[in-house]
Amino acid sequence: MTYSTSRPITLAFEHVSVRFGGLLALNDVSFEVAEQEIVGLIGPNGAGKTTAFNVACGFQRPTSGTVSFPELGKRGLHPAQLAKVGVARTLQGVGLFNHLSVLENVMAGAQSRPGGGLWSSVMGLPGGLRHERVLRDEAMGQLERLGVATFAEALPGGIPYGIAKKVSIARALMTRPTLLMLDEPASGLDEQELDAFIQLIIELRSTMSVLLVEHNMDFVMQVVNQLVVLNFGQVIARGTPSEISHNPDVLAAYLGLDE
Amino acid sequence: MDWWRSFFRQESTHSRLIGVTALAALTLAITFVLPPVANSELAGGAAIAIVILGLSWLIGWSGQISLGNSGFMAVGAYAAGIWAHHHNTTPLVFTLALAIVAGGLSGLIIAIPSTRLRGPYLAGLTLAFAAAVTPIAQNFTSVTGGEGGIFLNSLVTPSWFGHLFSGANAVINANAQWTADLAVVVAAVSFFFMANLFHSRTGRAMRLVRDNDVAAELMGVDLLRTRSSAFMIAAAYAGLGGALYSLLEASVRPETFPLTLSITLLTLMVLGGIGTLSGAVIGGIIYSFSADLVAHVNSLTGVNPTSNLGANMQGIIFGVLLILTMMFAPRGLVSLRTPIQKLFRILRPRRQTPDLGELH
Ligand SMILES: Nc1ncnc2c1ncn2[C@@H]1O[C@H](COP(=O)(O)OP(=O)(O)O)[C@@H](O)[C@H]1O
Ligand SMILES: [Mg+2]
Repeated sequence: MTYSTSRPITLAFEHVSVRFGGLLALNDVSFEVAEQEIVGLIGPNGAGKTTAFNVACGFQRPTSGTVSFPELGKRGLHPAQLAKVGVARTLQGVGLFNHLSVLENVMAGAQSRPGGGLWSSVMGLPGGLRHERVLRDEAMGQLERLGVATFAEALPGGIPYGIAKKVSIARALMTRPTLLMLDEPASGLDEQELDAFIQLIIELRSTMSVLLVEHNMDFVMQVVNQLVVLNFGQVIARGTPSEISHNPDVLAAYLGLDE
Repeated sequence: MDWWRSFFRQESTHSRLIGVTALAALTLAITFVLPPVANSELAGGAAIAIVILGLSWLIGWSGQISLGNSGFMAVGAYAAGIWAHHHNTTPLVFTLALAIVAGGLSGLIIAIPSTRLRGPYLAGLTLAFAAAVTPIAQNFTSVTGGEGGIFLNSLVTPSWFGHLFSGANAVINANAQWTADLAVVVAAVSFFFMANLFHSRTGRAMRLVRDNDVAAELMGVDLLRTRSSAFMIAAAYAGLGGALYSLLEASVRPETFPLTLSITLLTLMVLGGIGTLSGAVIGGIIYSFSADLVAHVNSLTGVNPTSNLGANMQGIIFGVLLILTMMFAPRGLVSLRTPIQKLFRILRPRRQTPDLGELH
């Protein structure tokens, strides 16, 4: 069962394999994320989902195969280059900066934008200050959008897990991404927060592509256009949520385990 | 009320300029009433405060440690000293700029391998650098003057300043106060630039790398560049402080920059409070009066200053101060401000605040 789209491709995995010693964490993995598409990467624990994210972000070099960003005209990016070309990723867990206020954490999402270099910083030039004020307002706007603006001055250690998750998404949005990569974004959210989050993700689709890893199947089935199912490092199925939910291989390998 | 709040958070360059200028002006006024010995001590303290500030930035903001700051001081001091020795008429600003560049470059050279190292390895490398600097200075006698160092007389009190003084010790008083005033002005300028850095995007990049380097990289922060520029800036501050200190002492000598000075700088920084401007000021003040303090303790306890115990009294006092600080003000003496502020808030009767509505 294959999945095809006529839209431009934002992210492409082509025959990517990653070997850790004797273990093949990814085995000839190929899939694409098209423009304005939400793709879910699912599979049992240890299937290779986080490894796939790490390869896409340049934290892990593929043993063979390539990862490219055709729409952005880039391939094999270094992690520090991602934000600049419009790729944002949240880390599994929370991954916030513990000694910076929530607001500053979100401002950090715009760290790669031009302006405010070393010289301007040292001299305290007005351009740099104006830049900071603009970022502050924009970051506040992102917090408001996610409904957590009241926590702006708090430190990440002092806020509930669900709020911290939202802050990390606000920070990723601050990058103004073309491709948003979310590693288990729904974990730790309660039912009500989940509904709001589903609305947000669907809303984001109009301006960006999303690739997400998630265990919460109710959530995944409601938001994604395409599912890529990994098992033991291999893609065992690709398709729309309804196709996947009727795929006997998938049911045997993954969904079956839950029932 | 916004301007008021932003003034005290020092969010604008103007407010930082006003704050630093006010503090400098106050200190300059004090130098008019201090005896010459105290003025000389103050001058040394101001030079050391610059070095402490650089170290505080490196450790508190970028999360890297350096035991090599005595070495960076020496590099700045020798660069300025060798130049000033041959070109006595060079304006002081230029000589100090040379020290900043030399210090910064040495920092950058140490930073390139250092930024790949963490914790004890980084500490070890910077320590090795500081240990190497003094023997080099001792051996390249033709350039550095060897053990005896280089004599410097480029800090000449201008005659207009000298005319302000009269009486028996006019010359001594004028010279001591001139060095103190000069050092305070140089320190004020460096504090102003650091205050800007603290509140800038570069300052934030440092804290991102310090807190979570994986996430920082995903924000587009270049780890190597950020870490090495932190080192470069800290070393430039050390170079400036070292050069200023030597100019005040009228000589550059290897014995001014022993390895133990690096430890003293770290201690002073922790005593004052890591990563803050006021912490560095407090560290500088403690340094200014440490010689007096040592002499006082020696005479109180009847310890012979030339004995083994007497010679190590400074280390002992700093050690005790460090332990006390860790126990009662773990974030440095600067954190004592909060209890004092609380006390003031309690003492002052609460005013009824009118509802300002939108203005808030
Ligand atoms: N750095 C590594 N070194 C060795 N093995 C690893 C490393 N990272 C992941 N693995 C292994 O690769 C497999 C896939 O891991 P991962 O991508 O984290 O799975 P998932 O995120 O789907 O749970 C697992 O068997 C894991 O133990
Ligand atoms: Mg995982």
